[in-house]
Amino acid sequence: MSSIPLAAPLHADSASPAVEMDPVEYTLRKRLPRKLPKRRNDVYVNMKTDFRAQLARCQKLLEGGGHREICVHGLGLAINRAINIALQLQASSQGALQLAANTSTVELVDDLEPEDPDEAGEPMTRTRNNSAIHIKVFYPDPQ
Amino acid sequence: MKKMSAAKVKIKERKMRNQPSSVQFPSRENNPRNGGDTPVTGGSGSNAPSDIQQSTERQTKPQHRGGWVRGHQKDGGSYAKEIPKYISGGGFAMARAAEVRAMLKAVNKTTASCHVFEALPKHMRRRAMSHNIKRLPRRLRDTANRLREKSLQAGSKKKEQTKAKGKSRKARRRHGNLLLEFNRRQRKNVWLETHIWHAKRFHMVKKWGYCLGDRPTCKCYRPCYRAMSTHCLLQDLSYYCCIELQGEEEKLLAALSQLTSKQAGPTFAAALCLSGQRQGSVVVYRAGQYPSQVLGPVTFIWKPCTHGSTHRQLWIWAHPSIKQDLLPELQSVCQCCEAVVPPVVPVVTPAEVTPTTEPELKPEKAPKPAQSHRTKRKRSCKDACEPPAKKILGDGTRSHSTPVTWRSSSTGIVINDLTMEIVRYRLIGPQSHTVLAETLEAATDCNALDKSQPSPLWWPEHCKDESKMNLHKQQADIFNILKDIYSTGELPAGTVLGLAVDDPRLTLPSKKVKALPCVKQTEEVDEEKRRELMLRGVPKNCCQSFLWEQSVRDNVTDNKISEQELNRMRSEVLVPGSRLSPTPLQGRVPVLLVHQPGKQVGHEMSSWGAGWDLLLPKGWGMAFWVPLVYRGVRVGGLNMSLKHSQNKGTPHFPHDYPDCPAGVRFQEEQETELLDNFKRRPPAKRTNYVKHGCLAPFCCPWQQLAEEWELITMEEREERKSESQTETTTHTDTVMEQEMTSQPNIGETKPQSFFTVLRNRKSLKLLSGWCRPTTSKGQRFCRIGQVPLPDSSAVRLFLTEHRMSVVWVRLSLLSKGKPELHAMVCVPLTEDLKLLSNKSDCSGPQEPLHKNHFKTRAKHKKKGSNKTAAASSLSPEKTEAEGSAEPNLPVAAKDPKSSSESSTGLIFGLWPDPLPSVTSHCSRVTLGWVTQGDFSLSAGCGEALGFVSVAGLLSTILSQPTEYRGIVLLRNPTSLHYRLAKINIEV
Repeated sequence: MSSIPLAAPLHADSASPAVEMDPVEYTLRKRLPRKLPKRRNDVYVNMKTDFRAQLARCQKLLEGGGHREICVHGLGLAINRAINIALQLQASSQGALQLAANTSTVELVDDLEPEDPDEAGEPMTRTRNNSAIHIKVFYPDPQ
Repeated sequence: MKKMSAAKVKIKERKMRNQPSSVQFPSRENNPRNGGDTPVTGGSGSNAPSDIQQSTERQTKPQHRGGWVRGHQKDGGSYAKEIPKYISGGGFAMARAAEVRAMLKAVNKTTASCHVFEALPKHMRRRAMSHNIKRLPRRLRDTANRLREKSLQAGSKKKEQTKAKGKSRKARRRHGNLLLEFNRRQRKNVWLETHIWHAKRFHMVKKWGYCLGDRPTCKCYRPCYRAMSTHCLLQDLSYYCCIELQGEEEKLLAALSQLTSKQAGPTFAAALCLSGQRQGSVVVYRAGQYPSQVLGPVTFIWKPCTHGSTHRQLWIWAHPSIKQDLLPELQSVCQCCEAVVPPVVPVVTPAEVTPTTEPELKPEKAPKPAQSHRTKRKRSCKDACEPPAKKILGDGTRSHSTPVTWRSSSTGIVINDLTMEIVRYRLIGPQSHTVLAETLEAATDCNALDKSQPSPLWWPEHCKDESKMNLHKQQADIFNILKDIYSTGELPAGTVLGLAVDDPRLTLPSKKVKALPCVKQTEEVDEEKRRELMLRGVPKNCCQSFLWEQSVRDNVTDNKISEQELNRMRSEVLVPGSRLSPTPLQGRVPVLLVHQPGKQVGHEMSSWGAGWDLLLPKGWGMAFWVPLVYRGVRVGGLNMSLKHSQNKGTPHFPHDYPDCPAGVRFQEEQETELLDNFKRRPPAKRTNYVKHGCLAPFCCPWQQLAEEWELITMEEREERKSESQTETTTHTDTVMEQEMTSQPNIGETKPQSFFTVLRNRKSLKLLSGWCRPTTSKGQRFCRIGQVPLPDSSAVRLFLTEHRMSVVWVRLSLLSKGKPELHAMVCVPLTEDLKLLSNKSDCSGPQEPLHKNHFKTRAKHKKKGSNKTAAASSLSPEKTEAEGSAEPNLPVAAKDPKSSSESSTGLIFGLWPDPLPSVTSHCSRVTLGWVTQGDFSLSAGCGEALGFVSVAGLLSTILSQPTEYRGIVLLRNPTSLHYRLAKINIEV
């Protein structure tokens, strides 16, 4: 990731004290969010893939794939899109599908690399939290 | 026509070679009674007169027959001649006998071209007939037998001439003889320990003094890519050279700081690397020559410091092609010129080596067996009882007396060449830690009985030491936590973990199984530990490994249990297939695990291709390789490393380092190879690069490019200067003028400067922002790093610093197309950019076909070859004509002398050597070339990596409107079609 001027002092880690950082001295590199094993009916929504393709994938799972329920996950910016997909699915099914949304918080890891590679400047790691949504899209039981 | 008839005659001759051409009766005209005296002439030489003879014979034959078969002949000739009044019985019978004999001979004798099998109809032929004669029908067996014997005789004769003794296959494959043969074969090129494994499955190439696997023989390009991105790909990188430096920390750092610059990123002194927790990577320059004179990229690991000691140990891992440049440079920097000649050590039996010996620098043991076997080979025929030659471990090509250690009396630094001493395997992919965790097991403690008695092995000695065992327990704990991590990319980049493991052959599964992650909900304590590992990496003390110590390495190598012994022990196990219950004492190996960062640059696919490197003592290569392969990894060769770095967007060594000596050497090799390939085609079937306007399809003239772009910017500036002088001078103009006045001075002071590759991090970041970074296909612009267009003064400042630089860029195609090697990167015209706005067809513009002036010249040359005087007078005219057609030709090409010289070495379809202006040769101005291009499976579009001129890139960016900033054209050397692409500079 490219450099972001870090104007505000950041709390580097719970263990280390807050360090005043020079805005140009550090490069922020975000690590990928932690992955967890994925079932077949889990759909992780991202911002890179085309929206229609992701929607079609969900529909395929529900109709052709024979799954009674699928789980749509979205993190950060993709929350909006996850909700959108879930609602679109529901609308296109004429009310046959039901939604159940859960939110959670995901811990993300950032690396801060010193721009000036001096012996003093140690690379740091910090954690930050981001919101996530998990929407269960399912056919309700017949009874 | 004459030739044709001659050929026909030849064919006929061959057909008739063994056929009796005529049955002659020399006295047929006048005295038929004596006809049988000379019955048959072998018609071997059938020439025109004999043909005539034959025809006359045929005419005459009925004469004789007419004697007793009367009146039934159709051709009137028989009647025309006079019928003999009487015939003598004896003469007639003899003549007939001669005829019959000739006929029989003709029938029995096969022509030479006709093999026995060819006499059989196709459906009766069998492949095995050639070696099993009983498969042939009975009637053919005799002849086949005869033929076979004849061929056998001939074959044995030939063999006797060429080879004195042909050993039987069985003898050749006997273990000792096989080893001798293998040792002989690796005298020239070093074999890795996995060579035999690779040679069975890979296309091998001889490169950099090694035999390396290039690509697998099976079709698995995509499976390998999939392994890299979802599971694990294994590579043997043992050919990388390790150079060990020992000495005081300050002195080492002072020496090494001359080789690097802080401007290009972290150096050897980076804090985390110095503590030994991380692996670092730097680009090394010649001492004190920072922006120019690159040597190449290296990685390095510091040994974690022991308490209070300032004596440090450093491993520098470098590509074999830069070792010859790097080693002298290191020696001069460290002032290490005294080579320590390895003393002749008596052959040490394995058990004698005690682990407590000081880590003094022992000579390499590898060359010894190689030398001893040479003398043995001569004797081997006499005394067969001698034990077979030892397997070569390490470098087999190095002679015994070559020094591997250099010491300095002034600084006390010791340089040690550890090439081929340490085996290095690379695992690429998100699941590589799972594979490692499944293959390796932390070494088990040995029981009390073994502890009590002194042992020649290293592990029991270690078990006695409490602190060492504590450390081992900590390391084992961390290694076990690795199993709870889902992806390798979650760990901090470059983490180092030391470990002692059990012999992995003991836990070899009976079947190949794919290692899969098993992430389970862990307890709170483990969770905490995992978080700690992810955030901080491995704690400082756990980076220690006994692999650093030469004595331990040698001990482990010498005491390895052989495969045979291990199998014997396995066969004695009570339950077949179960694990050997007390792990044999020799089965503990110190290893070092080094995390390799994945894709770090750019905005997407981050940490793609992350993995682990496994460092082992020599001799243990195959013992770890097979268990790793049994965990379902794919194995890749050199080709896959290239694709790995291409997907990561990093320059690959030595392909993408045109400014360092190894890179230049590589480019020359590549050029000759491509040129040879090109010349092998007939001229009519070659790509005509002259017509395509491609000046350098095989080798990119970077120096010329940089020089030309420097000239172009200078001219632009002068134009602007003249404009500005007419205007009233404003504040900015004065700044400009200052710049301009300073500019020529710089040019004068450095008349001969070589192009450099821009590696200054700050400048790269600036440039990256100006290019308006986008996602790979250019659909979305990144939210971060959006920098407004720089003002001209800033650009000018930038240019004064990097006027002769080229910069590493990634180009992603906006629509169709697959870029190839040495594709041109060009500046689009304004109408080309308009193509982009109407979405229906943004396929890109076309290059008009160029004219091939060399064709006519070559013709003239052919004509004028016998009258040289005329040729010399002709050439100036031609260049004149050429010059008028192509206004861009520089003065050098117009020079008649040089052009006439060049036309002597003219290759059809290629420009001769003094190239015209490379930038302005085509309808679009050239910015640079592509050094790696392919369809990228990770991005889903064509992607290319290459270099463009900094000056050219800046002037392009400045002239483009904001929405199209950073859009360039890409054209393959074999095509006339330009494709639109987006430039991204990733830092």
